[in-house]
Amino acid sequence: MTAILLLFSTEWIQAQEEVTRTLDAIEKKYSGLRDYVVDVRVHFDMESLNAPDMQAKLYYKAPDKMKVESKKIFFFPKEGGYFNPSLFKKKDFEVNLLEHLTYEGRKSVKLKLIPKEANRYHQIFIVTIDVERNLIREIEISPSDVRKIKTTIEYGTFDHVDLPTHIELQLDMSPSDPNEIKDFPPFGQRAKRITGKVEITYSNYKVNSDLGDEIFKDSEFYQPK
Amino acid sequence: MKVFWFETYKIFSRWRTYIGFGFIALIVILTEVVMKLSANEILYRMMRSFQKDFLIFGNILNGWFVTAFIMNSLHIHIPFLIALVAGDIVSSEATSGTVRLLLIRPPSRSKIISAKYLTTLLYTTGLVIFLALMCIILGLLLFGSGDLIMNYQTQLRIVFIPEAQIPVRMLLAFSAAAWSMTVVASLAFLLSTLAENSIGPIIGTMALVIVFFVLGNFPFDFFRAINPYLFTTYMIFWQRFFDHPIPWLEITRSALILGLHSIGLFLIAFIAYNRKDIKS
Repeated sequence: MTAILLLFSTEWIQAQEEVTRTLDAIEKKYSGLRDYVVDVRVHFDMESLNAPDMQAKLYYKAPDKMKVESKKIFFFPKEGGYFNPSLFKKKDFEVNLLEHLTYEGRKSVKLKLIPKEANRYHQIFIVTIDVERNLIREIEISPSDVRKIKTTIEYGTFDHVDLPTHIELQLDMSPSDPNEIKDFPPFGQRAKRITGKVEITYSNYKVNSDLGDEIFKDSEFYQPK
Repeated sequence: MKVFWFETYKIFSRWRTYIGFGFIALIVILTEVVMKLSANEILYRMMRSFQKDFLIFGNILNGWFVTAFIMNSLHIHIPFLIALVAGDIVSSEATSGTVRLLLIRPPSRSKIISAKYLTTLLYTTGLVIFLALMCIILGLLLFGSGDLIMNYQTQLRIVFIPEAQIPVRMLLAFSAAAWSMTVVASLAFLLSTLAENSIGPIIGTMALVIVFFVLGNFPFDFFRAINPYLFTTYMIFWQRFFDHPIPWLEITRSALILGLHSIGLFLIAFIAYNRKDIKS
């Protein structure tokens, strides 16, 4: 009995060490990334959002400042839409190793990240990481019936930093929160789910151009009270 | 033509004619000022199904959106303003005792009734153009321009129309709205031809429009079955110009059906007026 427990705890400790190594490696890889500016093009393939491709300029400054500049109306996915390497910091999550796998021919791991502070992140993340290049390749957010978002990321190298060139989001969401007081849908109609695909293409990266904080002062996006 | 201008002069000499324009001006100004003051609430209601998952940048609550919003809200009320004038245009001659004086003049009954009908259509179109100008000019002044987002809330669907396409689509939508309103005008005109006073045609027109709207919106199979036979079903076809892609076939069908209604109602009025035994 003690031997079995010992075996399991050894495996668990090894898995935790691997998880820590993986997240540390990503943190280290992007520690030199201070900021970036990039042109973004968003393509919607959603029944519920009939819109032409939208373009904007996105500014990011570590650790979590983001701004979008657009002359026209611009819809941008709140989660998974832009690359923030400091999103998955080890200290913010309880991390479990789910499996080892091969992703596009490279050694990878699938991790489950449960937020320690529920106020900061409201959902569980399942993240696939290419451990050979230390790249996050897939993120699944809140795998539940209410809300599913799956993000797939492709990378290019810009100024010696691997940054996304294409992010694809698969969405399948309930139109309202289960805890929200809902308006009844019109008689005889069932509330439809918001489903579809959003493709985001990134180009013209400018990396580490020392963006000032004042750029991020006025957030232009509409946020309800 | 002379009779038409004479009728136009008569109609625009009455204070009742300006009630519609005044009402529209008041409603549009009030609505746009209130919308300006409660922009955040409107945006929340409009975008709540999407704002959880998307960051939304740019001027959503712009003049074009406000115009579409007001058009959507007023399409039940405008018929009343049209009925006020169209329901009065023929019957008022009987009420004021001028009908015999009118009919002993050289122009034939056919010319007189046609001129009155054309005047009714001019008023109807004028009212819709006035609504369009009020909404667009005031809207653009208060809210600025931008792309138009049409939120079909019951279908949980958003249609995004680029700014460059909006003026043409607005022109088409308001033309379609004017076309729809000619049916109401024709109905009020017919009732006005048949009646000896103005109250009956005005109330009768509104009663028919409201009853048809209500029947058309009941969610029961019986009412769904009669829906295609109610002209009110087709009256909101102007909204289709803000869809993507524009359903041209459906628009053409609706326009044809409404056009046939207008012609039919006018022809009945024409025949009735020509055969009418004028006693007063």
